[in-house]
Amino acid sequence: MPAGNGQLISHEWQPVAEAAGATIYPLIRKIDTISSNSYIIETRDVILLIDPGGLADQAGHILQVISECRSDRDRPVFVFLTHAHIDHFVGAQDIPAFAYPESAVFSVQEAGADALEKGDGKMTQADLLGVSLVPMKAGFRLLTRQRAEFSGSPVSLSFANGAEVTVVQDQVETEPGAGLVRERISFGPASAIEVYHTPGHSPDSICIRIGGLLFIGDILFAANPGIAGLCGWSQEALVGSLAGIGSILSAGEIQTVCPGHGRVIPAGDAARVLAAVRNDALALADIAELNLERAKETAAYAEDSMDEVNEIFTIMAGRLYYVSYVMDELGEPEIAERMYSQFNGNAIDDLLEAFRDFADEHHRHEDVSIHLALKAGQVIAKLDRAFKKDELARLIDPTMVQRAGRLLSDYTTMLRGFCPPCDRARCDIIPLVSSLVTGLSVSACSDEDMMASADDDAVFLQALLARIGAPPLLAEIDLSLETGDRPVFAVVDCDHFSDLLTYILEELVGTGSGRIILAVSQEGENVIITVTGEAVQNAVAEKEKNRNFLKGLCVRAGGTLAYTKEVGLRRFVITAGRVPADTRTG
Amino acid sequence: MDITSATQEKGTVLSITGRVDTATAPALEQAINKEIDLGHRKILLNFSGVSYISSGGLRVLLATAKKLKNPADDRFGLASLSPEVHKILKLAGFTSIFSIYPSEGEALAGW
Repeated sequence: MPAGNGQLISHEWQPVAEAAGATIYPLIRKIDTISSNSYIIETRDVILLIDPGGLADQAGHILQVISECRSDRDRPVFVFLTHAHIDHFVGAQDIPAFAYPESAVFSVQEAGADALEKGDGKMTQADLLGVSLVPMKAGFRLLTRQRAEFSGSPVSLSFANGAEVTVVQDQVETEPGAGLVRERISFGPASAIEVYHTPGHSPDSICIRIGGLLFIGDILFAANPGIAGLCGWSQEALVGSLAGIGSILSAGEIQTVCPGHGRVIPAGDAARVLAAVRNDALALADIAELNLERAKETAAYAEDSMDEVNEIFTIMAGRLYYVSYVMDELGEPEIAERMYSQFNGNAIDDLLEAFRDFADEHHRHEDVSIHLALKAGQVIAKLDRAFKKDELARLIDPTMVQRAGRLLSDYTTMLRGFCPPCDRARCDIIPLVSSLVTGLSVSACSDEDMMASADDDAVFLQALLARIGAPPLLAEIDLSLETGDRPVFAVVDCDHFSDLLTYILEELVGTGSGRIILAVSQEGENVIITVTGEAVQNAVAEKEKNRNFLKGLCVRAGGTLAYTKEVGLRRFVITAGRVPADTRTG
Repeated sequence: MDITSATQEKGTVLSITGRVDTATAPALEQAINKEIDLGHRKILLNFSGVSYISSGGLRVLLATAKKLKNPADDRFGLASLSPEVHKILKLAGFTSIFSIYPSEGEALAGW
């Protein structure tokens, strides 16, 4: 029997609602990029397999289940692909029984059928996922342009597996002026299914309706970072398809929606999720194609960023624990305990360590870049949810909290296929640098603020916590700021520029420089900002990832960064294009 | 993570090698507590072999600082930090809670 709440039980036969005599055997997997769910449906006339998946073991198990069905009563087998991405079918390529049309007829929308027959590594995502693909024939082309010429009229087809099938193609209007192409496919008197063309995630994506079940492939994930923009993805088609599926669900005949990955969903919940996906998709105009080159670039950025994420989250946790420690020392154990609970340290540590372990395995096995980029996206999304920005910003240095937030959002933006936000404007560099240095040299809560808060317990406590939690970085540092008298203008993104300088100063202070020289000068057409600190005693190898991260950040800020190390000194040199004082550049 | 312990006249040195993270921090805490239970209240952690510390590791350091805060009898410090670990402790504010020494010898010389 089917489980309650519209659920299906994996690895068990159960009736298909609203399809008399049909039963389903689902193989529902945890979500990953390796293999899809599979669904076997048995009727009196036919055995249907929806998506064999990407793993040979999975396809082998499916073959065993199908063989048992056929030994009870032999019937033709059709393998439907919700779309021809390799995680939905490549597992079947190594199973000989799936290779012969006499045994199983692959049924794919015609764009997908073309991709399979050509062995198209881009459209099937085989190139991106580093999987070798053998060209294969789809014996049953679905939703063809040719059958559109006979719209509304039955077309009879015969197949190598002995099946006689009747197909009627028509157009279902889903909203005024828009609709989905549909085919009703009848394998026998009581074995009809409906197939809808729902492109967007890929040109060949289809949804399949059998009784009260709707199989929707990967459309639930089609607007996700790292999925949107795949070769063949189309925002316009996706938005239209989502509206069409929403219309099918609103008719009330579907009870359960079966996605290509993850657990099945009651139709009402699916309708809400699909509406949210549509909103996300509407915001994805002009994203870059997610190809092999961009996957590599994103994965490299992920590793550089994750090192910084790891460091800044550990420092923020440490700051909070420090505040908690001091409050405990001051005889305020309840406040100390509350501080402790503001940072979900174990969960955040676990997430960061999960990424590190994944990255280590990734390098050991020379895995494809997209897996690392997607894993980073997954970890960063979870960090973002666990990260109580507003509360933390009241307790520790708010600029550090903002920087951490920008680190996370910049990566998500990049994974989505956009350039991280960059708001460059003409800027007088000297006041910008001076103001940053002042902000890092004095306490966020001044002595005057402390005294003014003394009459109100709550205000005083807040001021005290802010003062303890945000010790000024440069308070004990001998810093020389060397600037000329004349204004120096450059076009920079002020937030990223300030972040960059802060990261550099933190690197120097954190690793032991007690004296720092920060100089702003002009050389020809350039503004040069040089930050020099003492070299570290007993230094280990320079952190290449950290340097790459800072260089990338400098480019987003509007400049270039060079790092040099001399005897006893470390020097960061930022170069930005100088603009005259009287021109304006947006 | 590996921990070796050596008690001498001036104090007990725990030398740690590896990562101090969520998985390994409890073992470090146990090793420190064991020494405290034995009455060793001058503890120096030699971190020359530690390249990474997570927030779980920071919690252990603070918990130890709380236990060893009697200025007359107790000492707690860290020696030979890598720049990465020094940076985390410095920016988190921990360097004002316990002493950081360039080397094991310099730490014990002052105890």
